[in-house]
This record gives sequence, C-alpha cells and structure tokens, in this order.
Amino acid sequence: MTSIAYYPGCSLHGTSGEFDASFRATARALDLELVEIPGWECCGNTAAHSINRLLATALPVNELAKVEKDLKLDAVAVPCAACFSRFKTGAHEVARDPAVADDVRSVVGRGYDGGVTVQNLVDVYHDAVGLEALAAKVKRPFRGLKVACYYGCLLTRPPEVTLAEDPEYPTHMDAVVEALGCTAVDWNYKTDCCGASLALTEQDIVDSLVARIVNDARACGAEAIAVACPLCQVNLDGRQTEIARKDSAWVGVPVLFLSQLVGRAIGLDDKTIGVSKHLIDARAVMA
Amino acid sequence: MTTCTPSGVLATKVGDGCAENPYLCYQCKRCTAGCPVAEHAGMHPAQIMRAVQLGQYDMIFDDKFIWLCTGCQTCTTRCPQGIDIATIMDELKIIAWREGKVHPDAPSAAMLKLNYDSFVRWGRMWEVELIARDALRRPKGALEWLSLGPKMLLKGKINPTLKRGDTDAMKRMVKTAESLTRAREQQRRAEPRSGGAAAAPKGDAAPPADKGGGAS
Repeated sequence: MTSIAYYPGCSLHGTSGEFDASFRATARALDLELVEIPGWECCGNTAAHSINRLLATALPVNELAKVEKDLKLDAVAVPCAACFSRFKTGAHEVARDPAVADDVRSVVGRGYDGGVTVQNLVDVYHDAVGLEALAAKVKRPFRGLKVACYYGCLLTRPPEVTLAEDPEYPTHMDAVVEALGCTAVDWNYKTDCCGASLALTEQDIVDSLVARIVNDARACGAEAIAVACPLCQVNLDGRQTEIARKDSAWVGVPVLFLSQLVGRAIGLDDKTIGVSKHLIDARAVMA
Repeated sequence: MTTCTPSGVLATKVGDGCAENPYLCYQCKRCTAGCPVAEHAGMHPAQIMRAVQLGQYDMIFDDKFIWLCTGCQTCTTRCPQGIDIATIMDELKIIAWREGKVHPDAPSAAMLKLNYDSFVRWGRMWEVELIARDALRRPKGALEWLSLGPKMLLKGKINPTLKRGDTDAMKRMVKTAESLTRAREQQRRAEPRSGGAAAAPKGDAAPPADKGGGAS
C-alpha cells in the first residue's frame, strides 16, 4: 500500500462532503493510504491572492512543509482544483524567486525544499493509481455511459505552473472514465470557466456560463458531466436547478465527481459515495 | 471625469507588486477573446492592460471588471507575450484595497473580504458564514438563496458546521505576512525610481518562450 498525504480543503468539509467521502473510499479500495495533514489550514483560496500576495504563497507552502518535514511523504493529494492551483502556484513561486522564498520562510517559520509532488484528483487516478491498476479493480463497469469530462480552469491553467500537457484540450480525465467503461465525449467547453465564486454574488453571470457549458455537453451527447472541483460541481449542479426554475424546457444533466464514478465502477455502494446528494438527480445514470 | 496619473506610476506599482511587465502587451486581445466575464463588464482585459500602461487609474477602478475576474487563467495561458494577466488583475485588486479604490457597487469585492476574514478567524474558510454575513449586509444576496439554499440543505449537500484549523498558527502567519508586506511596500516607496518608467522585472528584451500557438 502506497502512502500519500491528503489535503481535503475547506469545501470538502463544507458543501462537498460527498467529494471527501467518495475520494477517501476509492483511495482505500485502490490501495492508497491517505494521511490527512494534521491541523491543516485554509490554502487562502481566491481571497488571499486578491488581498495579500505573500500570505497567498505562504499558506500552501506551510502545508507542503508539513508534508515534507513532519509527515516525511513525497506526494500530496489535493482533490479540490482551487486548492491544487494554490499549492502548485505556491511551490512555483518559492522555487523561482529566492526573495519570495525568504519572505515565505519568515511567515511559515521554516523552509520548504520542494520535495513534494502535488496531485489533483485526475493525477491520483491517472498517475498514482494508474489506468491499468484502476481498470483491474473495476467490478461494475459502466456500459458505455456517455460522459463529458469537465476540467474547468485550474486543473490545467496556467500550464507553466500545473505542467499540464495540453491545457486547452486535456484528456487524462477522459482516459480515467474510459477505464471505468464510460464513453468520453468530445466537446467544446472542457476548460471553460463556470464562474467560480461569482456564484455567491453575481448569479446571473454564472447562470449564463453554466448554461453554455451544459448545453454543449448535452448537444455533444453527454448523459452526465464529470468534474474534479467542488466549486464546478456546486455551480453546474446547483445553478442548473435555478436555470430550470426559470426555463421549464431545461433538461438537466447530472454532474458527478470523478471520484463518484470511480467509486460506482469499483463496486462501492451509493450511500458511501453520496450519489443522492446532488440536485440534478444522478441515480439513474449511476444505477 | 477621468484623471490621469503620470504615465508609468501605475505600471511601476503593478510591476513592483507582482513582477510582471505590463508594457509587454501589444493589444492582440487574445485575453479578451477568451475571457468569460468580459461581456459582463464595461472594460475588458486588453483595455485594462492599456489603461495600466497609460496610468489611467479611474478608468480601471471606476469599472467593476477587476472584481468580476474569476481568476480562470485563460488570459495568462493564451498571452503570446507571456504576461501573467490574471496576476496583474490580482495586483490591481491589491492596489485598490491599499489605496481605498475598491468599487462601491461590487459585491464580489466585499465577498473576498468576508472570505479572507473567515479563514483568518477560523483557520479555515466557512462557506455558510460567507453566505450568512453577505445576506445580513445585502438583502438581494439573501433572496438569491431562498430557493437553492433549502434544497441543498435538505439533500445534505451543505454541512453547516465548521471544523477549525490551527487558528493560532493561522493568526501568526497572517500577522507576519501583513507586516512584512507593509514593510516591503515602505521600502519601495523609500527608493524612488528615475524616469518614471516601470521597472521591467522580466523579459524586457528577450521574447518569452512560445506557449504553443502564439507565434508561428
């Protein structure tokens, strides 16, 4: 069993408990031991880098230093795409600028030597577990369920930081869902923004972005959308119910975390992976 | 009314704060073409970049664009000049906070502050607290949740409770980061530059590495 540090992040304890539960359960079933970082802090999210740049870099680097020096592990799983972006950006900033690294060391209280690989949800299944090992664990394959893999913004952008191979048209999540027996559809809005935290203040903008994304997924034949970010999930799922309230002709497309699709395929039960928590009913596609 | 600052002052501030050189922009507008919120604001990213170059403070801060920017990084990813435009948008927000130029009618700006205060207070960001505090301040915000909020609660989608982080460690880091940031800012002010041109922290001569599809 391989051990890897785990940083859940605030949303996985707040609006996306089923993301946390399904990720933990799939990791266990796939022989990956998750070691949660003790006393982890918020990564600073969007607010820190819009208010204090140094704090925004220091907060994730503090967590990376805990993984490196306290847990003595060489990789951390960060399933929230926004946290993942802050971790990768923090590590990138201290590695490229010694002056920033010095200031960050003052804030954190110790240095970080860059010895930790930061993995997002897709990386965990695609690289840490591996497609062959994953496919070998599949007990209940999907029978060709057509899935639109939605990567959103921060899994791949900016590529200098994420080191994503193809930031405009990534395919690793597609490969993961194909290993589960799904058919990954080709579509146009894989990496378009869902509006992110504007869902708290500018709902009309988010509704227009979400409608565009879901309409394209549906038009390209998708029966479900797979996501790897709690904010993408809550926006695509929640705002669809608001769009449907105003437009009776709206046909909802269920929005599932990649970890839920993996969990269903490797034989975990619906309750464990939280299939019934979503507003657009996902039970039919997960049956 | 539009006031101009001497050209270069704003660009210098931006360059000092985030180590990006706004003068590298030559207005190709790929940033704007890919921006998810450009159509919803008065300004768009390429216009903001030009306004930074020309020191047009009011043009930037009287518009809501920087507060609608979602930080999606599309502009940064596609810029053929390798400018981290999303980081420049962040730097403009930081300047707005510091100089009292936050747009009065941008609920997203207030939300960023509620968010910051929440994770500083608890060590972790408490989503339910953000919605509740915003609703107290802004009734329209509360109305938006009347339908969706209860549905999410009933489904068990929202966990209203909070698990705190290490709040002592968080407060210590925030205090150090804020005071160090102020000290660095004072250092910069104490070292006036000659000529008024922005420092070119990177790439003032050599073109950046091609990111694919930029130059052909």
